[in-house]
Amino acid sequence: MSATGLANLEGHSDFDITWPWTRPGGLRPGSTAVLRVKDEARSLPWVLPPLLRATDHVLVVDNGSTDGTPEVAARTSQDVGLSHKLSQATYPFAVARAGAEHLATPELSVHSLSYFYNWCFAQVETRYSWKWDGDMVLTTEGEVSIGDLGWQVGDVQSIIRVPRHGLYLESESKGFLDLGLRNAEEWGFPMGPDFVFTKAYEWEIRTTPQPVRSIGLPHGLCVELKYLDGDEFAHWTDPASFATSYRNKRKRREWTVYNALLEGTVLPGVHEITAPPGVHIVDHVTQEWLPRAPRPLEVGLPELAPQSPAQQALASREASESGK
Amino acid sequence: MTELSLTDPTTYPRKVLFVAGAGRSGTSTMAGLMRLMGLHVPQPEVVADETNPKGFGEPRWVVDHHDRLLKEALVQVSDSRPEAWFETGRVATREPERIATAEWLESHFQVSPELVVKDPRLGWFLGLWRVAAVRTGATPVFATMLRAPSEVVGSKQTYYANRLGSAHLAASWLNMMLHTERGTRESVADGGRVFVRYEDLLTDWVKTSMYVAETLQLQHVLHADSEQIRDGHRFVDPNLRRMSQSLDDLGLPPRLHELTGSTWEELNKLADPGGDTPAVHEALDQLREAYVDLYEESAAISRSSVVAAEQRLKRQRSDAPPPAPSGADRIPHGVRAAIPPSVRRGLRKVAGRERPA
Repeated sequence: MSATGLANLEGHSDFDITWPWTRPGGLRPGSTAVLRVKDEARSLPWVLPPLLRATDHVLVVDNGSTDGTPEVAARTSQDVGLSHKLSQATYPFAVARAGAEHLATPELSVHSLSYFYNWCFAQVETRYSWKWDGDMVLTTEGEVSIGDLGWQVGDVQSIIRVPRHGLYLESESKGFLDLGLRNAEEWGFPMGPDFVFTKAYEWEIRTTPQPVRSIGLPHGLCVELKYLDGDEFAHWTDPASFATSYRNKRKRREWTVYNALLEGTVLPGVHEITAPPGVHIVDHVTQEWLPRAPRPLEVGLPELAPQSPAQQALASREASESGK
Repeated sequence: MTELSLTDPTTYPRKVLFVAGAGRSGTSTMAGLMRLMGLHVPQPEVVADETNPKGFGEPRWVVDHHDRLLKEALVQVSDSRPEAWFETGRVATREPERIATAEWLESHFQVSPELVVKDPRLGWFLGLWRVAAVRTGATPVFATMLRAPSEVVGSKQTYYANRLGSAHLAASWLNMMLHTERGTRESVADGGRVFVRYEDLLTDWVKTSMYVAETLQLQHVLHADSEQIRDGHRFVDPNLRRMSQSLDDLGLPPRLHELTGSTWEELNKLADPGGDTPAVHEALDQLREAYVDLYEESAAISRSSVVAAEQRLKRQRSDAPPPAPSGADRIPHGVRAAIPPSVRRGLRKVAGRERPA
């Protein structure tokens, strides 16, 4: 890896990467959430407001949306009076879908997921970053927790894990919250040469130094929106791409829950929730149902317990942190 | 939802006032006044002593809770390290601590819908309390007391016979105040914040407490009766302000002196009506960054002192006598081997020395 940045294989020099910590003046204190989005216009009105309030800056990088995603992002930030915290960029290259397509793509190609992520994070100007998806919505508790950690972390080199739970939307008033799978991914990372993106089997992975600190937030602070009338798996090469490895357990669970719900079956671990009249289901789940649900939140079916050594080690660490 | 009735406190919405600020800044006076005006101080509380003869207004559980969490985070009450905020924030992410804090708060909302919680350690755990308020359906509001750093440092040295130098105390004050200001900025869960000069509270507590009540919508204070107001006058002693040092008297290193003076100036602006503005936040952001830089430079320069302390501790540990052998270890191996394994396991169990599976 070059000390100053990366050049892509295709020779698109205007999309070469300059590491932001090498720029004059370096990085400023604070945190930035980076969203790489494609056709997330439906979700952004719920995703952006809590994120804009909780972080110092939000960067939305559009990658080929056809549903007006950039316009919705701009309008949403204006509606909450925080447009000064939003910046937008466009990445014009088709990015390989997760799975086989990604595996076949060279890491330094503009079509590679890892190159795309490195380019996105190279636009960050703060010392801490949140990798965020265009369908992840913070609950009230999640928002205040991320808001506090964003300034508390300062210059400490720590990763922050955020558990999330699939919220499958049937209508504006009805949804299904999947608490069957314990899943906490690493979303918060310091900015610096130790934390850049590289290639993994199905998708990108962020490098970390050894040893590295890592802390986790409790369950119940973030939901991931899924639309039962949409194509939730379009960014995968095909379902066979996540059929085998335990790395893809979350994706397999989503596939199972999604298809069961389409057939009218609510699987164990999934909660059917109806919002009160006049309240949108996403607002109800994130601002009332989850914040007030009894703690510790009942999450995780035994049959979906961690299997890989790394996941088991993480689960064990989380259990000791949570006093279980 | 129950309709708010001015004469029926049971209809007041749940609210918890957190009184923050450096120790010896008038936090006890603020909490005490709020109690007299009708807010509930969760019981039992820390008993008064000669350092604070009119009482602390500190719930005992809160003090013990914070003490334990600070120990776990390896953070001192007066800690000047900027990274100490992450250490206390990290502990506050733990689910059992969130549960314990919310359960405690919930139990006291059964007594009154408006609570006041105060402890000099509170600043380290504002996020934890905010989460507890969210979980109990309450609105958190914050009152941060301001007192000139020269007086706080002087007061601490007088009352606590603090052997640490004034530079350390001034740095701790900066760390606490700059980050408490950051930690109480508007959040979706909050019902507002105020900054209150200790001097203003002593000079005209009636005016100052009404400003606090109106800004934070504290129903008990807004509707306090005449006997409560008389109690307030009996409680507040304008002569409490016993320190009159200037910053120059502390003899701080020049950059620390400058940062302390500028921070006090900016914090003061927050206490003026309409003074809590983005421009002041930006100025305080820059001061916080300057403090972090100063601390990191100082830590880098004094690294040898840390290494020497580590080596001293290491030597102390290696010089300590080894632990005495246990009863079983004193039995010759041949004798131990002759005891059947099942009996050995039973003996180990009785002795509380079971081996892990």
